[in-house]
Amino acid sequence: MPTALKLQEEFGDDLQVIFVECQGATRDQAEAFTWRMKWMGGRAMWTEERPFKTIGNGLPETALVGSDGTILMQGHPGDMGKKIEEAIALEIKKGKEAPEGTPSALKPAWKTFLKGDVAGAIAECDKLGTDEAKAAREEFVVRTERRVARAKWLLDNGYVAEAESGLGQLAKDAKGVAELEAKISAESTRLAEPERAAEREAGKTWSTFVNAVAKKKPFEAANVQKAEGLAKKFTGTKTADRATRFAVLSKLKTSG
Amino acid sequence: MFRSLALVASTLALTAASAVAGVGDKVDHKFRSPLVNAMGVTSFADLRGKPVLVDFWGTR
Repeated sequence: MPTALKLQEEFGDDLQVIFVECQGATRDQAEAFTWRMKWMGGRAMWTEERPFKTIGNGLPETALVGSDGTILMQGHPGDMGKKIEEAIALEIKKGKEAPEGTPSALKPAWKTFLKGDVAGAIAECDKLGTDEAKAAREEFVVRTERRVARAKWLLDNGYVAEAESGLGQLAKDAKGVAELEAKISAESTRLAEPERAAEREAGKTWSTFVNAVAKKKPFEAANVQKAEGLAKKFTGTKTADRATRFAVLSKLKTSG
Repeated sequence: MFRSLALVASTLALTAASAVAGVGDKVDHKFRSPLVNAMGVTSFADLRGKPVLVDFWGTR
């Protein structure tokens, strides 16, 4: 576990670590345990839903899924040593290049897209007009729509600052692409609604709180009291729900 | 042809939540319940373009 957390910290946003609890703990138990172990507060994600079964039988077990969704390595994390870091670094590099087999005429469009210039990449594809270019264009649109969907999710779930940052970047990246601009604009309009102000302030306060307590003693009485206070102060926001949940989890007994 | 069919079958099999997967298999799982700290990620497709390290662990 700490190895994967270290890798998440080391590679930052270029890598996503997903922890899957496999011993039948409930979501609440697993989350409370994770807080107690001081593993929360980073970019890693957590679930008790197994996305796939692995061939090995023991725990812990690690699988590295490549940038194209293919499982590249699998086994006990202790047996992987430096190989896993090297494989991750290689995949990050591959993820920033055109996929294998891309025709050379199309590589500049991929390079443009992977630099973040969606509109430029789409324009290059339209200029080429080949079947491969049309397929690449479609892939660029799908990937960008996923970013819009994520921004929408962030907004729906009270992560206003994160949604704002994502939408701001999307507006720049896709400027001039009508089919994407309409979707980005719809979310930007929601972002500007007056009721976001309370959520924005609450989110900022909660983020500061989590950063302050996650690596110390998160469930210490004073921290729980503070979370309860924040839940009261920001009643009606998604952040208040998170603060309430934190307080509830702190009272749950776990093996950690 | 048979190879293509096998590949399609393998991919379809992995879309079932508890299919066994090994090196070389594609993962395209869509999570039924939100991940903790998901930040909008609902499936492996959302993470396409970056590597994903899946760590299977236990609380006991």
